[in-house]
Amino acid sequence: MRTFSLAALSVALAAAQAAQASEQNLAFISCPIVRDTSSVPCWLSEFRGQLYYLGIQTDVSADFNPPSLGHKVLVEGTVAAGAEEICGGLVLDPVKVSVLPELAPECNTLLMAEDRYELPFEAPRPPGPSAGRLAFTPPPPPPLPEAPFPERTFVVAYDFDGTVTFQSPRFLTPALDYARHVRARRIEITGYRAAVALSTGEVVAERERLGTIRAEQVARLLQGAGLTEPEYIVRGVDRPQTGTPELRRVEIRIIPGE
Amino acid sequence: MQPASELTGRRRVPVGSRLAFVGSALLAVTAIMANGSSAQVPSSPSAVDREWWSPGDGRKVPEWLEYENAYGRLGVLNADGPLDTAGHPFFEPIGANGRACVSCHQPSDGMSLSLETIRERWRVTGGRDPIFAAIDGKNCPNLPQGDPASHSLLLERGLFRIPLPWPPRAADGTPIEPEFTIEVVRDPGGCNLDPVYGLASANPTISVYRRPRPVANLKYVVQQKFGVSPFVGKTGEPAMRDPETGRPLNMNMMADARLATLRSQAVEAGLTHLQMVERLSEDQLERIEAFERQIYVAQVLRHGAGSLVEPDGAKAFGPRNLLLGEEGVLGNNTTRWVFPMGDVWRAPAPGDSPEQIAMRESIRRGQEVFHFRTFWIRDSMHLNTVGLGNPTKRTCATCHGMHMTGMDSANGWMDIGTTNLPWARETPRNPWTDERELMPLFRITCKDGVPPHPYLGRVFYTQDPGRALISGRCNDVGTIVMQQFRGLAARAPYFSNGSAASLSELIDFYDRRYNIGFTERERTDLLNFLSSL
Repeated sequence: MRTFSLAALSVALAAAQAAQASEQNLAFISCPIVRDTSSVPCWLSEFRGQLYYLGIQTDVSADFNPPSLGHKVLVEGTVAAGAEEICGGLVLDPVKVSVLPELAPECNTLLMAEDRYELPFEAPRPPGPSAGRLAFTPPPPPPLPEAPFPERTFVVAYDFDGTVTFQSPRFLTPALDYARHVRARRIEITGYRAAVALSTGEVVAERERLGTIRAEQVARLLQGAGLTEPEYIVRGVDRPQTGTPELRRVEIRIIPGE
Repeated sequence: MQPASELTGRRRVPVGSRLAFVGSALLAVTAIMANGSSAQVPSSPSAVDREWWSPGDGRKVPEWLEYENAYGRLGVLNADGPLDTAGHPFFEPIGANGRACVSCHQPSDGMSLSLETIRERWRVTGGRDPIFAAIDGKNCPNLPQGDPASHSLLLERGLFRIPLPWPPRAADGTPIEPEFTIEVVRDPGGCNLDPVYGLASANPTISVYRRPRPVANLKYVVQQKFGVSPFVGKTGEPAMRDPETGRPLNMNMMADARLATLRSQAVEAGLTHLQMVERLSEDQLERIEAFERQIYVAQVLRHGAGSLVEPDGAKAFGPRNLLLGEEGVLGNNTTRWVFPMGDVWRAPAPGDSPEQIAMRESIRRGQEVFHFRTFWIRDSMHLNTVGLGNPTKRTCATCHGMHMTGMDSANGWMDIGTTNLPWARETPRNPWTDERELMPLFRITCKDGVPPHPYLGRVFYTQDPGRALISGRCNDVGTIVMQQFRGLAARAPYFSNGSAASLSELIDFYDRRYNIGFTERERTDLLNFLSSL
């Protein structure tokens, strides 16, 4: 992570003004807090004296990837008008949480369960063994098209400063399947590095060359999964664009064979 | 707690005398305490015959074998029926050092090799059994053969040397640029600093020391039904693929997941452990794989509880239930528990003795501890990083979730601290003892440009880098593929580095590592349950 200074001041100010204008959107870096309940624990984080609810512990199938004590998190979320409280925190929805890579031993707060903080819903997966399935079942993939095949672009999403994780296969597998199905002759991979305007007015950018690193990694992963026939064109966009989490991405453009 | 050195030997029990033996075994056990939850280890049986399976002795493997062990009896089911071992590549000394596959995969030891057996082979053969071969039965090949100090890791921990190239190499042989540097901090075995065999040699090599895994119940180990996809579900990295079909493979077989098929493992084991000059032939591979796939192992009798394999008994127990069970199933608490017991032993059966009732109740409670006793799991790489959060409030069955074996259902290398400091077993030096740590110690430094290890930082120490010696990834350091929970009573010590000498020590490790705070009763119940598997 890199913090912009003078060179990015104007960008930062503009972003800060934008953040103020849209006061429902928040982006902040803080320690995560875990609060136990009689079911699964929930995750919180504090910003400017307000506790925010991020989500609960479920399992590998959830979109929400809970934070980690021992690390700060970048929280990007929206507070709805009249948002409810869960676990004592104001609900951010949608919310994107990125665990920052550097160790932060000061982030070590685990709050014990209290009756007043029971979850207002049943957890999709209890803390014990599963109920025979994962907490969330993804919809079945759409049927693969018939020839003539169109070019298609698949997007891999990332945490801030992140590369491949356990969540990457859900993005990579459809691209792999399609490329195989259409006997791709060329795969164009473009990786992007991004930045975030924090609610404090500061702008933080992902680490240097991350766009290139992401693109090269995705190419290696697809080739490692056996997709070695197509021609690969790999490039990174390493000048960070400031904005929403969706900017942190790799685009995989698949050009079908003849 | 029962140190491994005190555990009793085992003898083959003819099936015909089984009932008579049950009676004598029940008499042999120590009395159960009033609360019925004492962890029982019987006194040594008077006659000890390990029935060592020597390479090339030409015996037949019957359909069913039973062996006594400290906690009861182990059953070995040879599901396809009697097998003549004469000429069979699993049983013949087909390499240069006199070993066969069976040397380290003994039926009496749950198709693994217990420390107790290793020590007995040393005593009986004066250290000349092929298992003590220089290549990996010594701390380093260049040490004096036959000196117990040269074989200390095998004789003290049951560990064989695994030499691996550094940097790691991809399947095509090309070097992988590792994300970290590795330095040898301590090398009691002498191999990692050796000019011929070590890290600075002409062929840079890192020697780690690991236990042989059981060759049994393998349909569960190499299952292809759950968690197998082109990308590893915990890391996003490409999964290994079958060289013949190109399909992705389950990678739950070896400690570092460096090989993923029974055939490829057999080929490597032949060339390394057996020192074969040539690769196993296709015919030999077929015969080895067929045999390995038909062997099922589990405890069949638990002292105190009696038979574990009664008609209409719990599906959790016994080799036949493993044969009949469905592989590749994520265990649950509704229909297919990780270790299903149904309502068996919920109420005493007519004729059960008070001791039997108490022990069965304890085993049952242990199964419930395993499934439902929550605790905070923290800082465990490839567990807390895969969508559960850190810490996560879960149970033993969270990680040990595969129906019938307690293995990981997904490709399962993770770091729970068995080899990485600060949790790995270490013997701190002090002025009052000459005792020295047995294991090597490596300093790992994650390179600039890659994120630090999420829980250990940029510089940390390990006794065995585990999967990282294959992947080169910083956050794989110390990650080990978990093993099945079967035949535990027959094959101490535990963990890939043998650092838990007994099931008590194994439970102690988890209790300490995750601050579980087991009560004495929970600990005892869990031990009684684990020793019944």
